[in-house]
Amino acid sequence: MFSRRTRIVLAVLVVASLTFVILDLRGGQGPFSSVRSAAANVLGGLERVAATVFSPITGASSWWSTMRDQAGQIETLSAENDRLRSELETLTSDRARADALDELLRVSNVGGYRFVPAEVIAVGPAQDFSWTVTIDAGRNDGIEPDMSVINGQGLVGRVLKTTASTATVVLIVDSSSAVGGRIATTEEIGIVAGTGQQDLLEFQLLDPMADVRVGDGLVTFGSKGGRPFAPGIPIGEVTEVQGTPGQLTRVATVRPFADVSTLSVVGVVTRPPREDPRDSVLAKDDQLDISTEPAPLGGADEPPADPGEETAATDVEKPATPAPGASTAPQRETAATPAPDQGEG
Amino acid sequence: MVWRQVVLIVGLVLIAVIVQLTLLARLGLPGATPDLVVVTIVAIALAMGPTQGAVAGFAAGVLVDLAPPGDTLLGVNAIVYIAIGYITGIVIDPRDRTVPILIGIVGLSAGAAVVATAALDTLLGSDRVRWDEVAGMALSSALYAVILAPLVILGVAWLVARATPDALVA
Repeated sequence: MFSRRTRIVLAVLVVASLTFVILDLRGGQGPFSSVRSAAANVLGGLERVAATVFSPITGASSWWSTMRDQAGQIETLSAENDRLRSELETLTSDRARADALDELLRVSNVGGYRFVPAEVIAVGPAQDFSWTVTIDAGRNDGIEPDMSVINGQGLVGRVLKTTASTATVVLIVDSSSAVGGRIATTEEIGIVAGTGQQDLLEFQLLDPMADVRVGDGLVTFGSKGGRPFAPGIPIGEVTEVQGTPGQLTRVATVRPFADVSTLSVVGVVTRPPREDPRDSVLAKDDQLDISTEPAPLGGADEPPADPGEETAATDVEKPATPAPGASTAPQRETAATPAPDQGEG
Repeated sequence: MVWRQVVLIVGLVLIAVIVQLTLLARLGLPGATPDLVVVTIVAIALAMGPTQGAVAGFAAGVLVDLAPPGDTLLGVNAIVYIAIGYITGIVIDPRDRTVPILIGIVGLSAGAAVVATAALDTLLGSDRVRWDEVAGMALSSALYAVILAPLVILGVAWLVARATPDALVA
């Protein structure tokens, strides 16, 4: 059993692994980038096939994650249960997918984003502590690294790398993720960093004197050219504020709108809106306060669907009273009630 | 003969990796993702021996790191899995493969894999590992592995016996 052959094989394997680690540690365009992308192409294709085969199981089993957060909330639970029971009976994961797409369409219509819909086909193991997923759209669908990924609730992450038919997405809760965020009501900006926990983000304010309150909604303020993050995408809601005004660094805890543990249909923003939608995507009630500028619907090539009327109506409701400098500062009380559970309706 | 074994090992490991990423990880179970890969490596080591276990570990480690959405260092998982495949192949005496011992070894392997990978990643400079969660992850991973173990071990043993009937060394 401890033969010479065994020892040789073992030594070769260990040396090979160590070589991989050392070469890969050098980072950047290492010798593995081509190997990696070739392997990702092949394995990504296999994953697409397998995901299709497994879709009835994975589609029906999201109940597990949904149940987890609902301890003590009997009302929500029973409503949820009814919904889940009917879902289980019919076993239509397709319907859930259609709903998610509808939500996505709403966001893209209000915000004027252009996106490519995609489905999550593989998820990184939790014990790797990395929050990454694979989606079934890639270079052939026009997806490139550093594009924003959204779902009907809000920002999900950004594209890390692509193959011909799949793409790897780093979720916003990954500890390597940092997004420029803006509080919808006060325009305060800061950096939203992932913590590695699935329902927790950290918002570091740039201005230590800033006024942050629990319940404030956060949207992306966007990057140059809309990459990696297009402007105006809802990120999450402030749940806790640490430190007092004036402290050197102020940090707020933010709960992301998008539940990253139950992702199914997502959209990759291939073209950001021509104008920053500000926080028009954040809330969906009719008294929603929109910026003084018309919603960027006209600018987008897509024909506005039903949700477009919503935006148009709200424009009329609020006469333009632009504050000098901050031309689009919305009223505090209206936008402070974002709807995190939009997907449930 | 050797090639037949290698093909069988790589095939089994590939299936385990794909099923783990596209099915088990998407179930969203609490704690760790059920580590079908580790269970498969242990099953191969039990059925075929330590050398084959190490080969399976190497193949699985490389595949796990290469398959999207893997974003970890290439080779870290390979080192951990080689050790698991080799050690389980040696520790288990083919003559006293009693069920509790087998299951204990599978659970221990899965838990050790979590801790070892986290330790290696941290040593190599990754700041992703959240050490306050490692214990929970290791425990849940061990539990899932124990649940998966009987099916996988029996299945792999059956396949190995069929595919390479004359290679069964005691």
